[in-house]
Order: sequence, then structure tokens, then C-alpha cells
Amino acid sequence: MSGARVLVVGAGLAGLAAAVELARAGIAVLVVDQAMRPGGAVHRQPLPGGRSLASPAQARRWRALMSEVEAQRERIEFACETRFGGIDHSGAVLLTGAAPALFRPRALVLAVGAREAVQPRPGWTLPGVTTAGALQTLLKTTGTPPQGRVLLAGSGPLLLALGAELVRTGRPPLAIIEAGQPFSHPAPSLRLPVSYMVEAARHLARLVAARVPILTGAHLRRIAPDAGALMGEVDTRHGPRRFLADHIGLHDGIRPNDAGLTDCAALPVLRLGDCREALGAAAALADGRARGRALAAQLTGTTPPTATSALAREAAAQARLARIYAHDGAAQLTDLPDDTVICRCEARTLADLKALGPAPSTRQLRLDGRFGMGACQGRFCAEWVARIVASDFGDTPRPVLGQPRWPARPISVADLLAAPNLTSGETE
Amino acid sequence: MSGRHILWNGAPVPFRAGETVASALTRAGVLCFGQAPQGQARALFCGIGQCQNCLVRFDGRLTEACLLPCHDGMALAEREVQQ
Repeated sequence: MSGARVLVVGAGLAGLAAAVELARAGIAVLVVDQAMRPGGAVHRQPLPGGRSLASPAQARRWRALMSEVEAQRERIEFACETRFGGIDHSGAVLLTGAAPALFRPRALVLAVGAREAVQPRPGWTLPGVTTAGALQTLLKTTGTPPQGRVLLAGSGPLLLALGAELVRTGRPPLAIIEAGQPFSHPAPSLRLPVSYMVEAARHLARLVAARVPILTGAHLRRIAPDAGALMGEVDTRHGPRRFLADHIGLHDGIRPNDAGLTDCAALPVLRLGDCREALGAAAALADGRARGRALAAQLTGTTPPTATSALAREAAAQARLARIYAHDGAAQLTDLPDDTVICRCEARTLADLKALGPAPSTRQLRLDGRFGMGACQGRFCAEWVARIVASDFGDTPRPVLGQPRWPARPISVADLLAAPNLTSGETE
Repeated sequence: MSGRHILWNGAPVPFRAGETVASALTRAGVLCFGQAPQGQARALFCGIGQCQNCLVRFDGRLTEACLLPCHDGMALAEREVQQ
């Protein structure tokens, strides 16, 4: 765990592309990932001996990147089941899990991907209600769908992808409840990159063949326990509908997974891919390569490479996609019942938020309301608290809960003690 | 069945090599992983270690079921409710 190495956190597209570029420049790299295998969210690998749900294009992209990694294995070391805890002012990084350590890397590359936004609804804390991404992870790893009926709701292309994967594994979802009306925008859709269109067409073909209802302009308003299952109450453009499901996958968009990733003046800290700006897989790969190369040039004192246009192209495509899926779903927050849980960690409700009075300060929200004070540090409530407090249901609400701090996740004292200190004792 | 099991509250739950505890429990139909101090259910939610909603007690500490690898015979229990 020598300090002369660059630490890359996250073995997905962005992290591995950066690791390859650094290694090619002669720089030793340690890649850590919290999962058991490299892959990240997009290229999550099946269990040993299992079948992959990846499309041919996805499989090709991953194989190509992994063969580049293999060619550099002298300089790239992996530590899976290992998590980044944080970095202090001196540049000391804490790793916990399978390869625990407290050490000073030469540079820190954060490539921890995206997380999902999920809008609060009554019943969204019930067991069986997960993010769509959590269901997709189960599918990609085990190749089998969860037991029982599945309902997907929220907004975004992930719902179609997951729906199609459920069809492939023999468990078509009961329906896909999409808040936007993506099929009502043919003109901007046609200006999406061809790869996006091909992927969407493949998913839609599977869903249509399996007769999966795709209800657009519809909202899953409420989830209630019902005879050991989950009753989803949906407002559609043609009136209310109900779906009895065992699993409900929610997804209201993708956000950078940037909570608790503090900067440090003592060494270069880079954020790559979705954890800086959630632009998807192609952008993550391009970003990892370009900025990995730039970091290598910085560390070796050579001329930095010229910037590429790949990132701008993906940003434009994602902006177009956002317009195609635009909807007023956040306005549903105004109609939530007072007992709706907003903070999942500490079960704080809308009534608790309203009790803080009009325009509460960050201090009131946190110390009196305890919003953003739970174990997730506001990852799953901050956006909604901000919108509700400011009655702001537009694109990007102003943050009101302050910034999460490191450690990026709760760390047990036992884990802290298990990390050998390789920093010569300076930061003990 | 491979014959490999984790023990959930003492009951055997089969798992496949390389699977997480949350995945094995979900496939076995176990969706509620216990109760948090404020009374809400512990359950799989984000699946990537971000939300802290799937904490289970293993080896004396609370840890995310969605990241915890299964090992044969490992004993897991619902989180104790703090008094």
C-alpha cells in the first residue's frame, strides 16, 4: 500500500479507463471497489458461471477495456470489497474492508459513479420498494428476477432498460409508470445519437412483444401494504389505476454520487465520470481516458494532451434526453400527505418539516428537524427538502442542507482500528 | 442447490458463490431485514451502499447487506432495536 501509487476509487468505466492511462505512463495504480468484482453499475458482472444480460455492444466495450487493463497488470493492482472512507487535510486516505489502510497516495481519482434520485411517496419505505437500480443489480448479477410481480415507476430511460431485462429473464413487469411523455417528442428524439436510438428500440421491442403496459404522463402516487404485497396507486392521464405487486422499483433520475467526497490541497484529487456529472457510460469512459491522460502528464511533467469532444457530445445528448423526459413530477410533492416520510434514515415526515415553520434555516433543518443528519447524510432527502422548503419544483433546487462530510459512510471503530497506518504516524 | 447457506436469524438461506447477503435474502423472499431505531423497516433500497437502509448485524457490527458477501455458515441477525 505504498504512497507512491495513485489511488483510483471505483472499478467502473471511468476509473478503469483512468487507471489504464496512468499505468501506460509508467505510474503505479491501486484500484479499489466496494463490490466483489470490477464492473461498476453499468458493467456489473454476473455471478461466476452465470449468464450475462449485457448487450453485444456493452459486452464488447467491457472486454476491450478489461484487455487494456490486463495489458497493464504490472502497474495496476485491484482491491475489491474495499471502500473509500475519506481523505483528511494531510492527504491521508482511509480504506476499509478487505484491504484496509490509512495511507497517502500520489493522487486520488474518485470515480464512484452515480446514484438514483427517488421522489418521496407514501409507502416508499416499505420492504419490497427499492430503487430500479437495486433491482437491476440483482438481475445483472444473478440473471434471475426477484420472486413475484414487479412494478416499475418514476421517470427515465432506465425504467425501459430494466423492464426489457425483466422480460428477458421471464418476468415482464406489470407495467412501467413513466411521469414524462417521451414518445410525444419525435423531433428531439431523432437527434439523439444512433446508439441511444438502437438501444431504446431494442428495449421497446422486447416490452411491446411481452405486452408490458407503458403508461406515460402517469405518477405512482401512493404505495400501501395489501395482503402481504404492495398496492401501487397510479394517477394516469385516463384516471386512477391500481397494481398489486411484490416488488416496486422506483427511479426519478440519476445524480452524481458525490456525497462526502471532500477535496484536499495536499495532493491532486480528480472526480471522473458520473460522480462529477451524470452523463452516462460513454461519457464516463471518455472522461476517464482524457483526464487520466491529463493527470499522468501532470504527474510525469509531460505536455498535457488536447481535450476531446466526446464529453461535450454526450452532454448534449443527455440534455436532449432530459428535455424528452421533462415532466412536472416534482410538483406532486405539494400534494403529499403530512405523514409521508421524507428522511428515510430517521423516519422524519413532511409534518416534521412543516413544523419548522416557513423558510427554515440550515441549522433549524438539521438540528431541530434532523433532516440530512441520518446515516446517509441527506443523499436521499436533501433534494426533496430543498424543493419543499423553497416550493421550487424546477430543474435544480438550491441546496439547503449543507454539504455532507467525510467519512463518506458510517465507519465502525473496529474498521478504523483494522486499518494499518502507513503514513508514519503523522496523522494519528 | 449447492448446499451452501447463510443463517438468517438462525434459519438457513441458500446462496450462490459471489452473491451478496441482500441478494440471497431477496431471492429467498426475505424482504424485511429488521427494524431501525425509529421503528421503520430495514430493507434493501439503493443496492449500492448509499442509503444505509439495509443494515444487518454481522460479526458484532452493523453493515450494509447489499455489499456484504455471503460465506458458508455465516450467521446474520436483524439489527437489535436500541433502547
